[in-house]
Amino acid sequence: MRAALMLFLGLLAGAAYAHPAPNSTLRLEFRADAVHAEYWVPVSELAFARAADPAGEGFPAYLLRHFAVETPDGKAWRVSVERVREADYLEHAFVVAEIRLIPPAGATSSEFVLVDDTVTHEVRNHVLYVVARLGERAEMLGALQYPAKRLAVAAAR
Amino acid sequence: MRTLVALLIFVAACAAIPAQSKSISTINCRAPKSPSGARDIAVALDKLRPLLNDKQRATLDRPLTDAAAIQWSNLPIGVVPRDGLRLGDLDAKQAQAAHDVFRAALSACGFLMLAQVRAADDYLVPFDKRPIGWHGGNYYLSVLRDSSSKGPWILQIGGHHLAYNFTFKGQEAGATPMFLGSEPIRFEVQGGMVEPLQAQSEAMSRLATAIAPQAKARLSGTFTDVVKGVVVTGEPGKQMTGGTDTGFPHSYPTGDTDRGIRVSALTPEQRALVQAAIATYTQLPDTAVSGALQATYLAPEALDQTFVGFAGSPDLSTMGSYVRIDGPRVWIELVVQRAIALPDQLHYHSLWRDKQSDYGGEVRR
Repeated sequence: MRAALMLFLGLLAGAAYAHPAPNSTLRLEFRADAVHAEYWVPVSELAFARAADPAGEGFPAYLLRHFAVETPDGKAWRVSVERVREADYLEHAFVVAEIRLIPPAGATSSEFVLVDDTVTHEVRNHVLYVVARLGERAEMLGALQYPAKRLAVAAAR
Repeated sequence: MRTLVALLIFVAACAAIPAQSKSISTINCRAPKSPSGARDIAVALDKLRPLLNDKQRATLDRPLTDAAAIQWSNLPIGVVPRDGLRLGDLDAKQAQAAHDVFRAALSACGFLMLAQVRAADDYLVPFDKRPIGWHGGNYYLSVLRDSSSKGPWILQIGGHHLAYNFTFKGQEAGATPMFLGSEPIRFEVQGGMVEPLQAQSEAMSRLATAIAPQAKARLSGTFTDVVKGVVVTGEPGKQMTGGTDTGFPHSYPTGDTDRGIRVSALTPEQRALVQAAIATYTQLPDTAVSGALQATYLAPEALDQTFVGFAGSPDLSTMGSYVRIDGPRVWIELVVQRAIALPDQLHYHSLWRDKQSDYGGEVRR
């Protein structure tokens, strides 16, 4: 058992070291009146993006200039960055933003258009993966890579 | 005249072969080789099969499915396991027979590439003891075929830093996707220097250097890997998944914006550098596999519509340096990354795709 655990941990370490260009993940939890999002952005790739857009603001302000959510017919959702923390994942450093997404009055919280170029406005190979959390399960909803900035997202059923 | 041009391209493609270790110095990349084709490859495979036990034959010959076809990666086998006949498990007779398959499927340059990329993985073993799977033995040979003997089939040869995917009897000629990588970029083995991607990197660097004075040739943005590579998905808190070609089919740039400079705008000398750079990739398989593709890419009208661009340092001396050839069908990119086992060094990733005939068009689009 211990050997198996060590092998597993070894593979995790290997996975990180063997992939020097980590991607971003937006993890969504759909709720009745809002969507909770965890945005994991790798520090190494974010550094390139922020160097190309050096406004000097904090990460929440930077994020709000590069991240938005709209209804399918173009009405803006309210986006608030509630918390920003740092975390390591597979031996890469990440900035993790916890974001609350609230649809405009009358709009469903289960369908929207994500508009994002937080890293992809600069890093051409970078991919943002959008996944939905369904309890312990996760479902891939889509991905964004330059030059695409918009992704239609619907709650997994 | 056409023969002379082809010869010059071949020499350009295979020029500057480095001094090699004894173990791989017997391969002469410039040696002429007659096109062999699918039949010769099939004959070589038929000579290999009787030397294998039942279990080995079952790993060599597997059903052609989309999932099996896209099972290649730029990641080591400890991260993304491969299926197929593991070359490191073969005895001397089996290994010789496998080499005969490689010689039938590959040009001398392609065979040398395989040998040198495997040598690079061997070189890393003493430097990194984690269970990542560095080892020249961790390269595999597979034949993917459906139940019909007349149907298409795919020959897969590859491991960590190499993926040859050749399709026969597919909807179209299929020599792609082809992934090449090298860590370290160059290394010493038994007193000789080995540089697996020397021909490709030098040809791409010569091209980038030649077009660098033209502002349009510089691509915007930063490149930390190839753009159309394998898909690696990481859900926080979970083990990384993917690492295979699940992004297929890919969308490619359209229009004129941020694709570099059109070959039609280049001088004849610069145009020749584009041809030579393409040839360093298209001449790795046997002519019977990729000769038609090369002719398609290098046709004057196709070349005129091809874009070439670069980022970072044209001499490929710095991390993030990148060169791309983006034609109506051909897509070739080479990037300089931080190395993994030797993190104070750099390493190459390079990818050749065909926008129409990856997997011979046999994988769902």
